[in-house]
Amino acid sequence: MPPSQLKRLKASLREQGVVGPQQSKKQRKQNAQNGVSKEKRVHKKVALEGIREQFNPFEFKLAGKAPKFEVTTNRKTSAVVRRPGVAKGLAEERLARAYEEDVQRRKKVGGIVDKRFGENDPTMAPEDKMLERFTLEKQRRHKNSSAFDLEDDVMPGELTHMGQSLSLDSPALKDDFDEKDLELSDEEDHPSDDEQTRKRRRSSAGEDEEDEEEDEERPERKKSKQEVMKELIAKSKLHKYERQTAKDDDEDLREELDLEMSDIHALLRGAVPRSQPPPPASGPGMNPDRAALLSGTDKGKLDKDYDLGLRQMAQDKRSQPTERTKTEDERIEEGSRKLQELEAKRQRRMEGAPESSDEEDAAANDGDEEEEDFGLGSGLKARPTAAEIGIEDEDDFLIDDDLVASGSDLELSEGDSSDEEAEELDNDEEDTDFLKSLLTEEEARRPEFLTGANGPLPEAEMPEQNGVNGDLAYTFKCPQSHEELLQITRGVSVFDLPTVVQRIRALYHPKLNSENKAKLGKFAVSLVDHISYLANQPQQPPFLILETLIRHIHSLAKTYPVEIGNTFRSHLQAFGESRSLSPTAGDLVVLTAIGTVFPTSDHFHQVVTPAILTMTRYLGLKIPQTLSDYSTGAYICTLCLQYQRISKRYVPEVMNFIENTLCVLAPTKLARLPGNFPLHEPKASVRIAGTSKSTRRLTIYDCIPREHSGDDETSLKAALLETNLSLLDAAADTWVDKSSFTEVFTPASKILQHLSSKACRPTLSPITQTHLTKLTQKLTILLKNAHMTRRPLELHHHRPLAIKTAIPKFEESYNPDKKHYDADKERVDAAKLRKEFKREKKGAMRELRKDAAVVARESLREKRERDAAYEKKYKRLVAEIQGEEGHEAKAYEREKEWRKKGKK
Amino acid sequence: MPGLVKASAGSAKRKRSSSDKRPSKRARSESSEEDGQAQILLLENEIFESKKNYNNVATLIKILKTDSEDADDSVIAAISLCRVFTRFIVAGDLANKKGATDQEAVVVKWLKERYTEYKNSLFDLLGEEGISATALALCMRLLKTEGENTRTQEYQFPSSFLTGIVQALVKPESDANARKEFSEKFVEEYDDIRFYTFEAIKRVLEEPRSAASAHQVFDNVFEILTTIESVPESEEELEDFYIPAPKKSKHALFTLTKHKKRAQDAWYALVTMDLSEDQRKSILKIMSTSVAPWFIKPELLMDFCTDSYNAGGSTSLAALSGLFYLIQEKNLDYPSFYQKLYGLLDSEIMHSKHRSSFFKLMDTFLSSTHLPVVLVASFVKRLSRLTLNAPPGGVVTVVPWIYNILQKHPTCTFMIHRVTRTAEGKALLESEGLADPFLVEEEDPMKTHAIDSCLWEIVMLQSHYHPNVATLAKIISEQFTKYAYNLEDFLDHTYGSMLEDELSKDVKKVPVVEYEIPKKIFSKQEEGSGKEDSLLVKLWDFN
Repeated sequence: MPPSQLKRLKASLREQGVVGPQQSKKQRKQNAQNGVSKEKRVHKKVALEGIREQFNPFEFKLAGKAPKFEVTTNRKTSAVVRRPGVAKGLAEERLARAYEEDVQRRKKVGGIVDKRFGENDPTMAPEDKMLERFTLEKQRRHKNSSAFDLEDDVMPGELTHMGQSLSLDSPALKDDFDEKDLELSDEEDHPSDDEQTRKRRRSSAGEDEEDEEEDEERPERKKSKQEVMKELIAKSKLHKYERQTAKDDDEDLREELDLEMSDIHALLRGAVPRSQPPPPASGPGMNPDRAALLSGTDKGKLDKDYDLGLRQMAQDKRSQPTERTKTEDERIEEGSRKLQELEAKRQRRMEGAPESSDEEDAAANDGDEEEEDFGLGSGLKARPTAAEIGIEDEDDFLIDDDLVASGSDLELSEGDSSDEEAEELDNDEEDTDFLKSLLTEEEARRPEFLTGANGPLPEAEMPEQNGVNGDLAYTFKCPQSHEELLQITRGVSVFDLPTVVQRIRALYHPKLNSENKAKLGKFAVSLVDHISYLANQPQQPPFLILETLIRHIHSLAKTYPVEIGNTFRSHLQAFGESRSLSPTAGDLVVLTAIGTVFPTSDHFHQVVTPAILTMTRYLGLKIPQTLSDYSTGAYICTLCLQYQRISKRYVPEVMNFIENTLCVLAPTKLARLPGNFPLHEPKASVRIAGTSKSTRRLTIYDCIPREHSGDDETSLKAALLETNLSLLDAAADTWVDKSSFTEVFTPASKILQHLSSKACRPTLSPITQTHLTKLTQKLTILLKNAHMTRRPLELHHHRPLAIKTAIPKFEESYNPDKKHYDADKERVDAAKLRKEFKREKKGAMRELRKDAAVVARESLREKRERDAAYEKKYKRLVAEIQGEEGHEAKAYEREKEWRKKGKK
Repeated sequence: MPGLVKASAGSAKRKRSSSDKRPSKRARSESSEEDGQAQILLLENEIFESKKNYNNVATLIKILKTDSEDADDSVIAAISLCRVFTRFIVAGDLANKKGATDQEAVVVKWLKERYTEYKNSLFDLLGEEGISATALALCMRLLKTEGENTRTQEYQFPSSFLTGIVQALVKPESDANARKEFSEKFVEEYDDIRFYTFEAIKRVLEEPRSAASAHQVFDNVFEILTTIESVPESEEELEDFYIPAPKKSKHALFTLTKHKKRAQDAWYALVTMDLSEDQRKSILKIMSTSVAPWFIKPELLMDFCTDSYNAGGSTSLAALSGLFYLIQEKNLDYPSFYQKLYGLLDSEIMHSKHRSSFFKLMDTFLSSTHLPVVLVASFVKRLSRLTLNAPPGGVVTVVPWIYNILQKHPTCTFMIHRVTRTAEGKALLESEGLADPFLVEEEDPMKTHAIDSCLWEIVMLQSHYHPNVATLAKIISEQFTKYAYNLEDFLDHTYGSMLEDELSKDVKKVPVVEYEIPKKIFSKQEEGSGKEDSLLVKLWDFN
């Protein structure tokens, strides 16, 4: 147990020597004489103070936390011991003083305080005061002025002369002839601005300091700034120069090393160093002058010569590139390369490669432009007359056109003109498109030229010179719609149609008139309409005509791909909407045309994809009832297979339709249906009943529903069966490499087995029988092969997927010291504000309370004082009166006594 | 009811005659028409004036019945009669009072007979086009009045009257508009009408009738029943009453089970009729939404469902949803369900118009991860086999479904990735090739060995002619990064929709044109050109 408070007090008093053993009188006298006691008294006072503090637990206040070790913090740690008692006392004293002042001033002083400098300083002389005030004002103004502050009204107030400031500290006050100022007026702005910012930054540091610094700096500033700028520029130039020289040195070194490179190569190869080959710059194709120039040292001369040469070349007509004659081999090689390129592009489209590759191609094409021209040009050289005429002169071209109209050289002139046009056209896109078509066009035209209406073809009765009747017109209006085309061709024999088309194409060649391009585009569209129209005609025009027309459309499609594509699409749309399950011969011809005009192997094609969908829709949805339906189906199946001849994509509907047709045509019904295709038994049986005498092939007009005679029907059935067997054959060839070949063709082979069984065989013709046997054998072999080559699927040799990772989000302003972390900045700010408000409020209230307490205490004290004074006065008065009264009473008593005595 | 039949025969005759006369009606003078109407009104007023004129009721009924010339007259007569009888009922003239004289009793009896007669002729009117709506309104009005006034103390619904109405509406020659209005405005709206209609329907259906009329009656009853869409779920919902509700809170009208019982009886009576396939299908279609929820004893429906399911073809497809409802909601057990479902996957399903709904259901059935993998694999393999003959719409549905299933049953991924590891296995493959171990003919999905097979079919579809289908089929061989495909997006594709989709797009890019113009399209290649004839030229004759 600690000792009691009293004991401790006693102990500490004893320790300090405040109390001690009693001293004798003698000792005391001695001490007093030595001054020891006086000293001791002082010491005693201090000691007592210490003891008092020590024993008052409220006298000191230590910081709330224990002080940190110095190593842990970079802040200065001072073990602060605060004395709240003292602080409180001081504060109170201050308040009391303020109160007192207030009271004293009450009812005495007005509201205006004179704050002029030195107003309350009586020691200053009036001159000093004025001077001081002036400088202060100057300073204040200077501090506020900003170079670009338009709002500031201090600047305009300044006096100027000739637009230059007259103010004391302005540089403009210097002599006008001081060149620095004039020269660098531009540069001056910047540094002054810099100065401003610097000053602004400094202004936060402290005003007094700033003032002093400013005073010191001001006289020097201008000069140094300009110098600094100049110096800077000079320095940077120097650096630049140094860098350049260093780079040059490096370059020299590198070149040296490069020259030695071949030696190193040779060393590496272990061969004897050969004589140095001529520098690559002076290649075989290079002008010796140029080479000399290049190797020469005089750079300035070189440049000059080069410019001169260039200008000469640009002005020289002859310097335009001439077409070099290519050898036959070169041409063939180029042609094959071109074909390969196109084939590669087709392959990419077939695989559905992304479009970017296409664009690359286009870019590549751009690069090859010239060569393509070359190829074409050399092709034309083979026929010098027409080609040269075509290229050289427009008038000649017109003559040439005439020739064309009379049926001689259409293709060539067209080739020429497009060649020229290609040269003329700057538009890249158009250009490449056109060019893409050029080579093949030219190449493909020639056969057409031979086989078309103009060529002497023995196999069809083609017009010899000028139409069938020899009265075919030479000029036609360019038809802008199908109706117009019909009108124009009304009186024209159908056999003359190719000639008419050719003449129109020649007459309205885009080269001849700028409007012709659009006109021909519309003509191309009407041609597409026309082939479907022609095929639908009851008189059934010869297919050679249609073929030629389709080929015309094809060649036009290269120029007008969008128009023709859209026309085909609208044909498909009409077909799909109005007669999707009963196509006309025209629809079939259109589908065939699509198959030749557009690349059917593309993964996706704007025309081909809808076309094949339309066809499979027919195959999938049509429930065939008549033989014509079966013929239509067979035709469409043929088209489907032809569409897929390259890309070999699987068309389920084709298999369904073939299998269904075979089952339905089979002389007897199958006992068990193989496979999963939906079987549609027609209402009227179409089974083959007997062998037909005549064998024939199907024609497109078998697809048109009509009545058949008995014989006709039998032969048609036989032809259908035959065609379907061939289709199956073709399908097997097409899809032989597919993974599910077995599943697809096993049902078909079962149907074939049924057809060649005893029940059916007798009713089939011998040709069909042999065909059947061949096909069965082929299928058996293919199926066996498929069985042998089949392997379990291994589709998922992918790299294992990585687990997704996420980068953690870092909070920029995160502070672990803060007690409450909040990501929301607004909320943090609000909380801060709230807290501050609370604190301020608390502080204000405390202050008010303190003030009130002081006021109360002071007024109480005053009141007490007044009371005491009053009391004192009162007492004094009473005492006075009493004194007086006593005196009077005594006097009375005395008087009375005296009188008594007197009486007596 | 022989009387009714006769009446209906009469009405049929009248209908014909009236329709004959109708064109001439406009031509007739206005005055005679107005005369007839005025006369009817006069007769009506006389009835109200004195009891002596009660015979006018008979006259009015006569007008009502002999309306061969003028339909308007009969309508007005019917309306005025309605007013008359409403007044009688409200006044209590149609009820036997205590202490009434014999004479009065005779009058009451006579009036009651007239009332019945009036009602019967109203039922006849229900069958007539044009005025059937008025007749129905009158009937319902009378029904209300009767229900409100004839009760003495206890609640009494004029169910025989309602039965009469229902009977008239259900008859083969009845008017469709009136039936529609009745079912929409009354049966669907009011709980009590619905309650007693169910009862009436049951009673009507139990009557023997010929096969031909039964067919018509079925359709009519079915029409009424299908308009009732909302099955009440709690007793609080039973609060809409046409006739003021009984005061007793324990009345049958307030109990849900009684309602359901009535509905169940009515439906059951309908279901047990001799149904054609179409009728069956139409019931099966709404089975899970409108029929089954009414049933307290769903096992009654079970027979119907399983019978339909076993019937095969599209009927079984339609039965699926009902059956599934019963299995899921009513906890019925159907052991060979999956086998039957497997059996439904035949060559027709891909081409069926129910394809999307079937796939929706099948997806639900096979969504459980607790199904044996062997069974799931059988479904996957079977479906992929079917896609080889399917239209693109079908393929598009199957492929994402297979993807989802493979995600759900990782064991099934052996079907797309099976590495032969042993040397002997590899040698065997080299020497003998591989036959598909899947047994196509096996009916039990647990025994098909599909799990040992591979999905070569889907790989083949990766080279489908339609670019989108081909791309979709490629998801099977891509890495399985997606959790699942939303099957809804793939269900409803057809040739038409796909074609429209393709054709509706604008041609933005220039269509590529074949670079080589073929020399021959329809004719044979020239000899020595070194090119082969196209398939078209080989197979078809173009000369």
